[in-house]
Amino acid sequence: MNLYKNFYVMNAMSTRAERKQKIVLPSTPFFTLGIAAGIAVIPISNALKKTDATNIQVVSPNALSMLLNDLYIVLSVSLLAILLGIVCAFYLEEWLPKTNWVRRFIESHVAVLTGIPSVLYGILAISIFLSYAGTLKVINGAPAAQDTGARPFQRHTTLFLGEGLIFILMVMPVTIKTTQEALRSVATPVREAAYALGASQWQVLTRHVVPIAFTRMLAAGCRAMARAFATAALLIGTYIWHYTAETDGMSSRFLLFLGAALFLSVCSSTLVEIHASIYNSDSA
Amino acid sequence: MLSEKEQSILSIRNLNIWYGDKQILNSLSFDIQQQQVTAFIGPTNSGKSTLVRCINRLNDFVPNFKSTGEILFKGTLLGASTDTTALRKQIGMVFRKPTLFRCSIYENVAYGARISGASRSTSLDGIVEKNLRKIGLWSEVENILDETPEQLSTGQQQLLCVARALVVEPEVLIFDEPCGELDPIETVKIERLVRDLADDYTLIFATNKRRQAARVSDVAGFLYSGELVEFGATERLFTNPQDNRTEQYVTGRLG
Repeated sequence: MNLYKNFYVMNAMSTRAERKQKIVLPSTPFFTLGIAAGIAVIPISNALKKTDATNIQVVSPNALSMLLNDLYIVLSVSLLAILLGIVCAFYLEEWLPKTNWVRRFIESHVAVLTGIPSVLYGILAISIFLSYAGTLKVINGAPAAQDTGARPFQRHTTLFLGEGLIFILMVMPVTIKTTQEALRSVATPVREAAYALGASQWQVLTRHVVPIAFTRMLAAGCRAMARAFATAALLIGTYIWHYTAETDGMSSRFLLFLGAALFLSVCSSTLVEIHASIYNSDSA
Repeated sequence: MLSEKEQSILSIRNLNIWYGDKQILNSLSFDIQQQQVTAFIGPTNSGKSTLVRCINRLNDFVPNFKSTGEILFKGTLLGASTDTTALRKQIGMVFRKPTLFRCSIYENVAYGARISGASRSTSLDGIVEKNLRKIGLWSEVENILDETPEQLSTGQQQLLCVARALVVEPEVLIFDEPCGELDPIETVKIERLVRDLADDYTLIFATNKRRQAARVSDVAGFLYSGELVEFGATERLFTNPQDNRTEQYVTGRLG
């Protein structure tokens, strides 16, 4: 009954422009992301099918180098994505008016992308990994026995590039959303008081908005990193499972898998804790 | 007649304002003379704040804000290409609630000079002292300049806001219900200050206390649901109102 009533009210007041604001723009992610997911399904399913067919034992770098490689990627890419996300949030929140369609378009996509569970991104990353793992054999070309040396940052460039892209896709929406919330938490009277004294937009940003919102932005960064680490745990497990030689034995492979995943999960939950404590100390 | 025209610092012609589809102000026209206190009275939601915020263009930040008509400041038409930052340096504003920044009393007062590029060496101390003396707060805060303004009373904070606005050296100063949160003693201080400042500045004063407007202003305008019902010398408006609604409001039977 209530739903019906709301619908009725909405219909009664909706002009063409309002319909665009309230219905059309917020529902665009349904189509764009739906099409993207539809296109992505084919390579993903192909890649996942290949797993047992190609028994790839290209190289067997040690687990530590894999872990370092992964940490390196997670840290560098998420830092980049966080910076990009913050810049993007500033642009959306401080420069574009609320009714601007670009802003509505991006915001609705960001909302949907933050809602996607990190496991799904993990599957996407694994499928990229698996589709490139076959070609690695050709690129590297070296027999497994000769390539056990630890060269952490040289190998698997393409592979980690794919992983990096996934991390950007994961980290940026979270950063944009939380930073926007941080910026919104800066009270309007403070901004108005500064503007009324003849401060320029840049001065208001640097002297008031950023100092006030800084702790919350820091918390936003932690939150986004935690998300990246959670997916990294999934990925590193798969890599280790895939790369360590059969000869290592089932139990040691399993232990490595478990150890690495646990380590990254702990990183992730610590970041969430830090996020919570920053957030609480700021609002207190 | 010509000399009168020259003196009017602010002219508003046929000003209409909408928030979305709701019309807030309905074809307002009036002139504000230099070195006078112009008060706008009217009940809540009559559009006083909207009107005064139009003058220093703070309404630009309101989404769905629409306006038609002309605002002339010192003979220049304010439009989309106006440098609002420079304009707001000439037209200061004091809000209903004292909004001081999260820094020391000294830095709060010096803010206006700082954003114009002054550093501590360039007689910033002198500017701060001069303006605090002008509003009569110097003796009270002399020893606590480096502390946060939170320990001050609301009235002192409001006075500090006035000092902060004066540092920018504006020509026009807008007071948007400055005594809305103050007790009677603090209100008297602000009112006395407003009278003193009228010697050097053009003041615009929005209030919903009719007696207050009668005390502080030279010229008054009565706003009622977005319409400027009457505009003229305060004494005449309060003793001999032309419009029925003005009479009802002034005598306390309306609003």
